[in-house]
Amino acid sequence: MARYLAGRAAGVVLILFLVCLFTFVIFFTLSPDPAVMICGKTCTPERIDQIRDVLGLDEPFLAQFFGFLAGIFAGRDYGAGANLVHCAAPCLGYSFQTNQSVWDMVVERLPVSATVAVGAAVLWLFLGIVAGLLSAVKEGTWWDRAAMGLALGGSSVPNYVLALALQYVLVVQLQVLPFPQAVAFSDGPALWFQSYLMPWLVLATGYACLYARLTRANVIDTLAENFMRTARSKGLSPALTMRRHALRPALTPIATIFGMDFAALLGGALITETVFGLNGVGKMAADSIAKNDQPVIMAVTLLAAFFVVIGNVVVDLVYTRLDPRVRITAR
Amino acid sequence: MSELLVVEDLTVTFPTTRGPVDVVKDVSFTVGRDETVGIVGESGSGKSMTSLAIMGLLPRGATTRGSIRLDGTEVLGASARELRRLRGDRMSMIFQDPLSSLNPYYTVGLQIEELYRAHRGGSRAAAREVVTGALRQVGLPDPERRARHYPHQFSGGQRQRIMIAMALVCSPSLLIADEPTTALDVTVQAQILRLLADLRGQSGMGMVFITHDLAVISSIATRVLVMRRGEQVEYGTAEQVFAEPRHDYTRMLLDSIPRIDDPLDEVSA
Repeated sequence: MARYLAGRAAGVVLILFLVCLFTFVIFFTLSPDPAVMICGKTCTPERIDQIRDVLGLDEPFLAQFFGFLAGIFAGRDYGAGANLVHCAAPCLGYSFQTNQSVWDMVVERLPVSATVAVGAAVLWLFLGIVAGLLSAVKEGTWWDRAAMGLALGGSSVPNYVLALALQYVLVVQLQVLPFPQAVAFSDGPALWFQSYLMPWLVLATGYACLYARLTRANVIDTLAENFMRTARSKGLSPALTMRRHALRPALTPIATIFGMDFAALLGGALITETVFGLNGVGKMAADSIAKNDQPVIMAVTLLAAFFVVIGNVVVDLVYTRLDPRVRITAR
Repeated sequence: MSELLVVEDLTVTFPTTRGPVDVVKDVSFTVGRDETVGIVGESGSGKSMTSLAIMGLLPRGATTRGSIRLDGTEVLGASARELRRLRGDRMSMIFQDPLSSLNPYYTVGLQIEELYRAHRGGSRAAAREVVTGALRQVGLPDPERRARHYPHQFSGGQRQRIMIAMALVCSPSLLIADEPTTALDVTVQAQILRLLADLRGQSGMGMVFITHDLAVISSIATRVLVMRRGEQVEYGTAEQVFAEPRHDYTRMLLDSIPRIDDPLDEVSA
């Protein structure tokens, strides 16, 4: 087990390193000169040279890359003498746009993304699994057909369309919700809940539809298994047969997919956050891409990769608890 | 010999897009206490459907006519609740593929224990004692420890022993064995057959043994029912059926058993 974990940890580090490297290569070769961008409209050649010098943009590629990596673990200094700026570890640099520390931006915005992700996940897990279960048990009935038709439709509607439609109906027409804005929990739970309700609904819809279809398919497959016939032949109650023998095999694969989906969402729900103006990691990603804010793009890319890779490891570890046939053996 | 199971004019019908199809037609036979009745037939002959009808486990949509009485209790038309009370307690069934018939997510001990507790209640600790005893009875070594293992940790023969232990844990009066040895190696087949015969002899229960293998039937059954396309083509004592088959189909089945003293034939077809 310890060997397995060590191996996985090494894999995580390697993947994150490669993500870093590739992102860095892309910006180094493709992006316009950051110094010109930072300098802005009133710019002089001297000023551009100064910026280049402070950010180390004149240095060779590898030196810049390892400077970035070193910053994450040990912090780094920009400039020299009177202009010296120390960026404490974990240092992800400063935004070209706002000069804010990128790490501080991440720390500030991550809770918003996490709130969006957790709330949506609760909603879609509940709705998706309940609807899928009912459909499977009532396979072929009008309920099944209606629910699955709705699920197919719901997973085909783009997030931004749904978001705008929902805002129009709930905020403009019915006026049951305030216009969405980022509200902290400390500002009042009711207000907080209201402000996040629409993002949760929008984000959860697509996933709920997908999970309903997955749950239905898995439960129907499981109900046809030979061990279900055995369970019935034993004279167990229908409730026990369903709860113990059908649900666990049917829902275990869903746990895997959920882990991956949830991890990816922690890296930011780009469209939903942007449409609702929530200052999460997703909106930060969208803004930084629009403005070619390289340090911020690096940070959101790394962050997303980090969550996906860690999510993968967690899912694998959890799976060994869920399915007794899967056991960890060191390779 | 008083009859344990009486099947009279059993007909099982499935709805299809081309109208209803009888998969079992007017089948009648009886099983006495302390007796093994073999049902023989090729795939699709309706032998498994007959056994599922007895257990009340036919797939949704199937309709039945006739009568199935276990110890005088009518099974056809019994409520779901009554059927549940009978299943696992008064009648049990073992299946062809023991691996897929056991739930891979739970220990074999739990799977036997839940059956026992569904019918007899009591504490888990008490049920565990019974489970250990049942596993020991079917010849599983180290039953106390093995009860905590999962189905995939056993060999095919051991899994079928576990299925048998489960089926017999409430001492049912009827055991239905649906091709219990088909998925097993030949040497293991013989062991399982002997185990079934021994346990049946000790407990005095009735057994319905379903197979496509006439050689197996001749060694275990006292009466034989031959089925083909849902119909009963021959029914009599084993000696009768094997010595003087009345139906061409039975004769054909008997001729299909390879013998060591057969003259070598060219392979036809």
